Amino acid sequence: MAIAKAERLMNLALCLLGTRRPLSKRELRESIEAYLEAGSDDSFNRMFERDKDDLRELGLVIATVENLDGEVGYLASRDSNRLPPITLDAEEAAALGLAAKVWQQARLAGAASGALQKLRAAGLPEGVDPYEPHGALEPRIPVHEAAFEPLMLACRDRRPVTFDYRKATAARPGPRHVEPWALECWRGHWYLAGWDRDRGAERVFRLSRITGKVRARSGKYTADVPDVVTVRETVAGWAGDITDRSALIRLRTGSGYPLRAKAASVRELGDGWDELEIPYGHGLDAWLVEFGPDVVVLEPAELRADVVDRLRAVAKG
Amino acid sequence: MAGKPAGPTNAIDQTRRMLSLVTYLRERPGARIEDVARAFGITEDELISDLDILPLCGTSFRGGDLLDIDTDGDRIWWHNPDDVAEPLRIAADEATALLVAARAVSTLPGLREGDRQALLRATAKVEDASGEAAAASSRLSVTFEAEGGVFADVDRAISERRRLWIRYYSPSRDELTEREIDPIRLVSVGHTYVEAWCRRSEARRTFRLDRVAEIKILDEPSAPPEIELRDLSEGLVQPAAEDPEVVVEVGPGGRWVAEYYPHDSAEELPDGGLCITLRTPEPASLRRLALRLGRDGRIVSPPEVADSARKAAREALRAYDEPQGGYDDGEGRPQGLSGAPRDGAPNASPGGGGAHRPDDGPHGVHDGLYGRQEQGL
Repeated sequence: MAIAKAERLMNLALCLLGTRRPLSKRELRESIEAYLEAGSDDSFNRMFERDKDDLRELGLVIATVENLDGEVGYLASRDSNRLPPITLDAEEAAALGLAAKVWQQARLAGAASGALQKLRAAGLPEGVDPYEPHGALEPRIPVHEAAFEPLMLACRDRRPVTFDYRKATAARPGPRHVEPWALECWRGHWYLAGWDRDRGAERVFRLSRITGKVRARSGKYTADVPDVVTVRETVAGWAGDITDRSALIRLRTGSGYPLRAKAASVRELGDGWDELEIPYGHGLDAWLVEFGPDVVVLEPAELRADVVDRLRAVAKG
Repeated sequence: MAGKPAGPTNAIDQTRRMLSLVTYLRERPGARIEDVARAFGITEDELISDLDILPLCGTSFRGGDLLDIDTDGDRIWWHNPDDVAEPLRIAADEATALLVAARAVSTLPGLREGDRQALLRATAKVEDASGEAAAASSRLSVTFEAEGGVFADVDRAISERRRLWIRYYSPSRDELTEREIDPIRLVSVGHTYVEAWCRRSEARRTFRLDRVAEIKILDEPSAPPEIELRDLSEGLVQPAAEDPEVVVEVGPGGRWVAEYYPHDSAEELPDGGLCITLRTPEPASLRRLALRLGRDGRIVSPPEVADSARKAAREALRAYDEPQGGYDDGEGRPQGLSGAPRDGAPNASPGGGGAHRPDDGPHGVHDGLYGRQEQGL
């Protein structure tokens, strides 16, 4: 029966952590059953390189050292792999427990639990069960977009990427070459900020509009990464949240609560209608049309025309 | 164990866990399986599969230098004399996952102040202990949305087990309704929701906090029936199979519909648009969608929804002195602004048991100040 990968990785980790001197590939192969059974040198070499990468991925610092005979050896020294002293009280432990379970993405959920387990091994208090609901609050970070994981890794490793992206209103996706800076989740959706190489400018992308695969490219970034990346402000502008203009509308009494909630002023007209002053930002026309005959736009004329235009399209059906 | 992260058996996660287990178990001879599984956030079965592998691991299988760990099915014993393991430093991905989540949770307006302070202290300590590994965590961030005042009242009602009175906005009917609810839990998935037993419909309902127009904590005790909490990893909106089917055809400018509405299928159309099939307990509620779409799309079926949107648009146009000729929807209509009947959206709500959904069906996804559509690049 094939030996489980977790067993193989565990053995490699223990060998590298347990040794005081660098171990050569040959020695490791002789010590670890799965490597003995690996068959050809080629398949052993491939397996060994992959395993080393996997262990580094989970945080092991593995040094590569050449000995006097020119043979390469490996070790994971205790000093470079030891968790620095950290003391957390029961309340802090419970709070971290709540945070560790918010990810709905497998890789990050695994990594967050892994961090907690390492802290647990280092004596994190267990008085409170971190996996029981903490109070009544259950925050969750949704990650439904397939592009998330490759982009997260690209942001982490500062690797340029290419992907096909469909603008909100475009019929077909087009290729993009991007130097990814940061990912941000806002109102439940993920966005990427980065340098768009073809446009020579900063751009924000919505992950759900990335079609097909995200591919990492070799090479360095050509643009400086800013200290502060402001994804949220850009997206808020699209959503119409940022505006200094206002519009005047008539709204049927009792309807359109969200419009009332955003209104700067509401005046009762007494004939079954109210007059509202509301912020006029991107997308207001489409929103007002949703209220059908319960809304009449008074000004500005431009908004009035946009709304009439949209209503005509629906009326023609 | 409600709320436990699903543990996919993946070799990297398992290896990571076993390395921590080795250290943990050495410090606690005779640890109970039940306690260890809870401390590690895994099932007992997962722990037992780790315990099956650990005795096969060591620094050299030939030298017999293997971990000597055994269990009687209740307790775990460790026999190795030497110290094979120390707590390992936190990896970059681990630091990112924990720190980004901790920062996000600490911004939740409704978090109790004591918990927030504890979380901020813990975050600073983990940052310190992670060293360089913490650096990449700034490349990921999450903002939860929550309405502070409403949140605090719901949170208090849950901890004091009291009933709530709310005035709640339903976008599908564009109306505010009053109801009494027995709150069960608060959930943040992008927006923040309260899951509750609704005393008006005698059913489980999810209410989005930013749609709560008014809230009062009542003196009556909250007494929600014993119900199984749902796993929310599939999303809050879970249309039921028995819900009526709606077909929406959109052009390229209406593709966002597929992003915002959970759907059964979305087929590409030759013009770059989509034909989207979805389910909703109240197809009439999609009149709003039809109006918003304008020339970017239309409801193909049921035809009544398209008709009602058409009628609403014509009625609305009358207020702008639009010519009335040329349209024929075959019905007499009252003229003028006042007295026009509003399309009566049926008030039928799905029955008690079975399917569970936000209070207003797929409309639980309104975004932004002006609704769903955000223009991309």
